[in-house]
Parts: sequence; structure tokens; C-alpha cells
Amino acid sequence: MDFSTLPIIPITLGTLAAGTVLTFASGRWARWVALATSVVFLLEIGLMFLGYTSWPGRSSSLVPQFGEYQSYPWISLSWLQINFTVGIDGISLILILLTGFLQIATVVYTWNETKRPSAWFGLVLMTCLGSFGVFVSLDILLFFLFWETVLVPMFFIIGYWGGPNRRYAALKFFVYTHVASIVMLIGLLALVFYSGASSFDFSSIYAAAQGLTGIVPVVLFLSLFFGFGVKFPIVPFHTWLPDAHVEAPTGGSVLLAGLLLKLGGYGLIRWAVIILPTTLTQVDPILFFVAFLSIVWGAVLSLSQRDLKRMIAYSSINHMGIVLLAISLNSALGLTAAVLLMFAHGVVSALLFMGAGTFHHTYGTRDIPSVGGINSRTPILASLIMIGSLASLGLPALISFPAEFAALLATWDGLTYLVLIPLIGLVVTAAFYIWMMQRVLFGPPKGIPNDAHDVPPAEGLGMGMLAALTVIFGVLPFLLVNVITMSPITGWHG
Amino acid sequence: MTFADFALPFLPEILVLVGVLLVLILDVLGVKRIEVFGSITVGATLLALLFVIADLGFLPFAALSTVPAGQIDISLAVVGTPLYSFTSLGFVFQAIFLSATLLVSLASMSRPSYEKGAAVFYALVGMATLGMLLVGIASDLIFLLLAIEVTAISTYLLVGYTRRDPRSLEAAMKFYVIGALSTVISFFGASLLFGAYGSTNLYYIRSVGGAVGYPTLILLGYGLLIAGLAFKVTLVPFHAWAVDVYDGAPSDVSAFLAGGTKKIGLFAFFLVFLGPVLFFTTTGTSNPFNAGVLNTGPIFQIVLGVLAVVTMTVGNVLALMQKEMKRMLAYSSISQVGYMMIGIVIATSPAIAGATLQIFSHTFMKTGAFLVVAAVASLGIGPLISDWKGLGQRRPWLSVAFALILLSLAGVPLTVGFVSKFVLFSSAVQAQGYFIWLAVAGLLNSAISVFYYGRVLKVMFFDAPDPVVEVPAAGPTAPAPERIPVGGLGYARASTIALIAVVIVTFGIFPQVILGPIQSAAQHFLIAGP
Repeated sequence: MDFSTLPIIPITLGTLAAGTVLTFASGRWARWVALATSVVFLLEIGLMFLGYTSWPGRSSSLVPQFGEYQSYPWISLSWLQINFTVGIDGISLILILLTGFLQIATVVYTWNETKRPSAWFGLVLMTCLGSFGVFVSLDILLFFLFWETVLVPMFFIIGYWGGPNRRYAALKFFVYTHVASIVMLIGLLALVFYSGASSFDFSSIYAAAQGLTGIVPVVLFLSLFFGFGVKFPIVPFHTWLPDAHVEAPTGGSVLLAGLLLKLGGYGLIRWAVIILPTTLTQVDPILFFVAFLSIVWGAVLSLSQRDLKRMIAYSSINHMGIVLLAISLNSALGLTAAVLLMFAHGVVSALLFMGAGTFHHTYGTRDIPSVGGINSRTPILASLIMIGSLASLGLPALISFPAEFAALLATWDGLTYLVLIPLIGLVVTAAFYIWMMQRVLFGPPKGIPNDAHDVPPAEGLGMGMLAALTVIFGVLPFLLVNVITMSPITGWHG
Repeated sequence: MTFADFALPFLPEILVLVGVLLVLILDVLGVKRIEVFGSITVGATLLALLFVIADLGFLPFAALSTVPAGQIDISLAVVGTPLYSFTSLGFVFQAIFLSATLLVSLASMSRPSYEKGAAVFYALVGMATLGMLLVGIASDLIFLLLAIEVTAISTYLLVGYTRRDPRSLEAAMKFYVIGALSTVISFFGASLLFGAYGSTNLYYIRSVGGAVGYPTLILLGYGLLIAGLAFKVTLVPFHAWAVDVYDGAPSDVSAFLAGGTKKIGLFAFFLVFLGPVLFFTTTGTSNPFNAGVLNTGPIFQIVLGVLAVVTMTVGNVLALMQKEMKRMLAYSSISQVGYMMIGIVIATSPAIAGATLQIFSHTFMKTGAFLVVAAVASLGIGPLISDWKGLGQRRPWLSVAFALILLSLAGVPLTVGFVSKFVLFSSAVQAQGYFIWLAVAGLLNSAISVFYYGRVLKVMFFDAPDPVVEVPAAGPTAPAPERIPVGGLGYARASTIALIAVVIVTFGIFPQVILGPIQSAAQHFLIAGP
């Protein structure tokens, strides 16, 4: 059978949506339905990979081109042409792959969820459905629709399954991200109407936006930057993130750090950087400043945290700062590094949050100073946390290293000695991870309850998958890089 | 012209009137069952709706159309100055009005028959609907104001018809006094305009524009009309009566007021102010104030725009502070009017289409919300938001339907509320210039509104229910409830709420079905309308 003619993206959207609805409705079989949906999703991602070499990607022109392109008319008015347009390039395919991995890892890790399992698994699938939709949408309304679809399940995940202060955190999360979405939406609409694009499709906006001059594209770019940046999150709009992470259940933190932050990065690349490349070079000092601020501030705050989860959350701000820096360099290498780093951070932070969750179950606290030497009692958990930490601080042969190395290389190309700032950030990151490992994993045992047991099978399997990915793609990063460069903006053309 | 030729275009109005008369006759004959009156009203409304939809040219029904195609959307400035005319946008609004009536009449059939005044209720709803239909075809200021009055007088009575609750009576009294005052103000404004133009025909007024010798009269006349109509649609600062009335009225009636009758004021705004908004512009040569000493600029755009923004903001902020469900919904209803006013401020065909779609979706959402409140009250749950704790566990389906309605009100995707806000706000961005600030204000306000809708969701789904066992009791003298099954809600009420939920989601995913006709209606309205 010839798979290349299938409209694979609409099919995938359909199966994910059907799986989500079925999961909500299937009571105590929900986890099995969720697992089946995740497996099917991975198979469909496999089908997308089958065809990627034949896409019109690495061309000599910078005009964006997409594989698996489908477009159906949706709303046709005299002044508003909205299509159901989907398509993928290398950038989106890598993030879709991340979505697939995180979905199955989360479902497996939270296999024994006892509090309203059908609702829990349904919301997890819905989050992944929304993320997938964001990554494939090439129409503003469709994009915004999926963008908002992600918010709703995450609000419920934090608000219902979260910690003691969950309601405050859920509301803060929703308000921050929703206000940002509004600014983003205005920016996107203005992009259409000021450029005079004939439809809401990405391609027609791209074509029309090249003619924008003067102050208009600058204002548009900055509004888009703010809208996507809050999701990143950029300092000073980051304060929702630590609260959301600390209160969210482990599965929620995994999706939050692994997927939701990536939506911001993806959106910035797709709808701002690609569409308004010349404007980026006008405003990049602002972006660099914000990126440096996020890198340093995130690292310094991580260093001072006692709560394991809060520490990982702040380190996310640091890592996403490097992503922002790599994006704002506006070079093929920088963008490739940014996408690779997003994938790496998605896997690694998910692994770390799972480790922190299991740690909390086992030791009844997440307070770093009050527990020590868990290596002796729970060696598997300690190893998994160690793999995550080492990957996060950028040890070679683990997944973050090639990404961070490429990002630093691109920074040197663009900014020369300013590369010292992210380097200092990396040193501080290494410091707080090593310090944490020294205190918690090794050293004399303390604060270990008598009934402490090692990782439960389901949680171990979930973390094991991600740890394996960390190693595989750390050793063989070209598997990802070859795909990422299947997009004009990340390809080395010429 | 035979009598049939003359009467046939009015078939929807005639059907509703026949329904009212039938209800009253059966009441005199001693029929007591609420189901009978309800079925008559529902039947008459449904038929009328069918004919209105046929007039709009929807395909399977288009053959039923009773208005000759040549009489729809003709530019009457050329033809003459009749009292009424048929416009596509008028038909769209008639369809919206009839939908509201249909939903309320259907849901009210679940109320127990021992409640007094079932026939009165349905007759008054029918009369109010008749007035609303007449608003849809008005093309003369006096005709318009009288049609509004037909609806208004029926609704004054509706608010207090149970004569049981002193709060309802107080609300009815307040409603009546304020309503009468606003009518007087409107008519005074209309008389000043008559003084300036020598006619009250809206088409004639638009064709003359500002080119008359009495600019002060025009300004005063329209100013008074803004005030008078603002009372009807509850623009801030003319909103104070609305919350007490919606709160005090029986919930079914509140649904009808917020979902249905309030919308006539908005269509009246469209009819009356399209002309002045278009000729009072910065550059228009017909603006009488541009040439003279006093340069007013686009004064009506500014005044109406400020009113719109103030209304949405004040309504939202006050809704945030409410502890009672009905009061919160009432304030949210006020704020929603602010969004709809954007349409007439911008006065381009996209904006009018967006506002009309917003009115359409709000009709379903607000009617649905108040019907859910009525249903929950019939389960013996109190009026405070905190009384709804844990409803998600006790009444999952009702809570899911209510959650859909609230999400739609908040403008969350995959609901019709999202589509309508999207179209409306993108029309503001499309108009460019300072209209973008209307979109910004509207979107920020939708963000605020997420707080109070989200709080209700939180209370329903996250909070544990109080351990008190619910007592399914209705009125104070409740005998054993008769025929109120489906978990105490009643078949009719439950199916109405389900229908609303289905409509919200269906049109949220496939909006083209209604957007197409609304858009062409708005285009015709801008070209041929008053």
C-alpha cells in the first residue's frame, strides 16, 4: 500500500480526537484506551517520517514549503478566507515526535492514577492533541484554536490533581497564558489585515508580509514576541511557571515543561521569525537582552531553591532562554540548535520531573537538604535522576550536549564574546545540578523512611523510555538534525 | 393587490398572533395543563421560524418563502417612505428572536402545572415575540419604537406575573418605571428628529444625512435616542435596573429577557444609528459640523465606542464581584452588550456581521445559562455560586452542558462563542486605525471574563459537595410533583439544555452555515439599509 498519498495529518488529528473522547467515556478501561491511542499516534508519526525525504524542503529558496500539505475551505467570507490548512516541515516534525514520546511516557508513568482515571487520561490526551494541532496548523484560526485547546486541559490538570495551593496556581497559569494569547491573536490578525493577505493561510501571509515596511512590522513582531514569550517563559513574565510546576501533579509538570513551553518556541519561529525575518534583525537587541536575562536569572534562581521541583522549573527558564537566544540569532545553525534544544529539553525535563515526582512519593518531601544518600536505598531512582541531571547540565553523549554546543557555536558566530553570558549560565546550571546530586543522591543517608521502596514498575518504565531517548539521541544526534534541516530556514543552502 | 398578497409576507407575525389568541381562548375554556399552552406556542414559533428561514433562502426551505424576492433588500430611499420593509438582516434577527422564544417556551413546559398563570405566561411570551418580529421589519422610527413598546409592555408583566415573590414584584415595578422613562426619552428624541427632517422614516433620514439646516436638533435627537435605547440594551451607565430585574424575575423569564428581548434594542441601534455613524465622520462632506464653527468629527462613533468599552469593562468587573449566580450572569450579559455595540461603532459589513453573529451566539448561551439556573433551582439548590459546589459529581450531564455554555461565553475555541468573538474582533482589526483599540479592549475583557466563568467551573468540578442531602422540592405549596422526571429537571427543560449545548458546539465547528447568510445580509444592510 502506498502510504505517501494518505492525508496523514487529518487522519492523525481524527484518531487523537477519537481516542480522547473514548478515553473520557471508557471508565476503568481508560488507561488502556489512552495507551492504544498513544501507540497509534507513534505509528502515525512513523508514517510521517517515512515520507520526509521526499518533501520539498531543502531548496535553494527561502520560501517555506511543507510536506503532507492539505488545505480545505472552512469559512469563506468576502473579507475573511479561512481554510483548514495543515502541513509539516522539519521543525514541526521533530516537535511532533517529542509529543508522541511524551504522550506515551506520561500515560505509562501515571498508569496507576486512582483519582478519576478516565478524566485524567482524557485530559493528558487532549493536551497532546492540542500540541499536535499547534505543530501542524498553517492557518491562523486553526492555530489559535489548538493553542487555546491546550490551556483548558492543563487548567483542569493543575486545578484538580495538583498540590495544596493548586487553585491559585491553575488560575495564575490560565490568566498569564490567556492574556498572552490575546496579544498574540491581535498580532496575528493585524499581520493578516495590515499585510493585505488574501487568506489566513501561512503561505499567503508569508507572501504578503514581505512587503511590510516601517514601524508596523516592528510592532507586530514585538506583540507576537510577547504573546509567544510568556509561554517560553521569558523573564519577567515567568512567575506563573514555578507556581504551576510546584502545584501540578507529576504528569502535568511533564506535559507543561515538555510540551507547553515548546509551543512558545515553535510559535515564535513559525509565525514571527519565518514571516518577518528582516524585522527580527531590527529588534534582535531586545530579544538578546531578554534571552540573557532569562538565562542568568533562571540559573541563579535555580541555585537558591530547596524544592527539587522548583529547582527544575527554574532551570527550564534558563534552558528556554538559550532557545530564545538561538532563535534570535536568525541563522540556520541557530534555528537548528534551537529546535534540537527544545527536543532535548522536552525529554530531559520530563525525565527530571518524573524523577522528582517519584522522589516525592518515596520520601514524602521534595526538600533537597532534608534527604540524602538515596543511592543506597533506591539505586534505580537515583540513577534515573542522575541521567536526567547530567543530561540537563550538558554532559557529552547525552542529548542536550549537541544542542547546547550548536547553540553556543551559533552564538559565537553571531555575537562573538557575548557567548560568555550563556556560558556562565551553563556553569551555574552545572553547579546546581552537581550540588543537588551530591546532597540528595550521594553522601550519608538521612531522612529515609523505613518503608522506602524503589521505583514502581510503571513509573520506572516511563522514565526508562525517556532515559533511553536521552542516550540514543545523544549519541546519534544526526537522526534529528537531518530532519530539522528539512525546512528552508534551517537548511544549509548555498 | 389581493389581500393574500398583502398578508402573506406577514405570515410569521400572523402565526405568532394566532398562537397567542389560541392560548388565551383555551385558558378561558378551562384548560389547565401547561403542556397544551406550551405546545401551541412552540408549534407557532417553530412554524414562524421555518418561514423566516425560508425567507432567508436556506435551501431546503427556500420554496416556502412568502416574501417575494423583489421586496427584500430594496433601497427604499428611491421607492418611498413606508412603515415597514423586508431586509435580510431583519430576517436574521427575526430568526434569532424566534429561536429565543422557542427555547424558552420549550423549556418552560417542564414547570409544574399547579403554578398559576401558565396561559398568561405563554400569551405574554407570544405577544413579546410579536413585538420583536415587528422590530425586525421596521423602517420608520415611530413604528420601531412602538414595536419595541409592544415587547416591553409584555415583558413588564412577565417579570411579575407569578405574583408570589415580592422580589419579582419589585423587579417588575422597577422595570416598568425605567422602561416607561426610556420610552419617553426615545420618543422625545424621535420628535426632535422629526423637527429636523420632517419625516421619521429611517431611509429618508439616511438619504438626507446631515444636509439639513438644524444640526443642533439632529445632535440632540440622536443623543436622546442613544439614552433611550441604551436603557433597553443596558449600556453602562443606563444599566442599573437590569441586574435587579434579571435577578428578581423567574429564571425562565430572565432567560427570555437576557437572551431574547434585549436583542431588539441592538437591532434598533443598527437601524437608527447606521446613518449618523456613517455621515458624521471626520472627512464626510455631509457632516454639518465639519464646515461650521463647531467641528464634531465622528462624534457618534466616539460616543458609542466609549459606551461600548465602558459597558464591557464595568459589566465584567462587577460580574467578578458577584456571589449570586443570577446576578453574575446578569452582569455578564451587560458586558456582552458592549461587545455587540462594536458592530455599530465600526459600521462596516464585517463588523455588522460579527456583531450579528455575537448576538446569535449570545442568545443561545444566555438563554441556556438562565435555563440551567432555573433547572438547578428546581433541584432545590440555592442561588449562591458557592451553593453549586460539587454539582459536577451530583449532576454530571447538566454540569457539562453548563460548562459548555460558560466556555462559550468566555470565548473558548470549538464553541460558537469563540467564532463570534473571533469574527467580531478580527473585523475591528480589519477596519484598522483606532478601531484596533476596540479589539484590544474586547479581548482584554474576555480575559477578565474567564476569571468569573472559570470560578464557576472550579466550584462545580473541583470543590467537594457539601454533605447535605438535596431536597427536590419546588414551590412553597408544592404538592407531589407531577410528570417532572429525568432526574427532576423535566423532559422539556433537559432536552432544551441539550439542544443548546449541541447548537453551541455544532456552530462552533461549522460556522459557515450561519456566517454565509449573515455576511450577505450585513452587506445588503449596509448598501440598502437605513
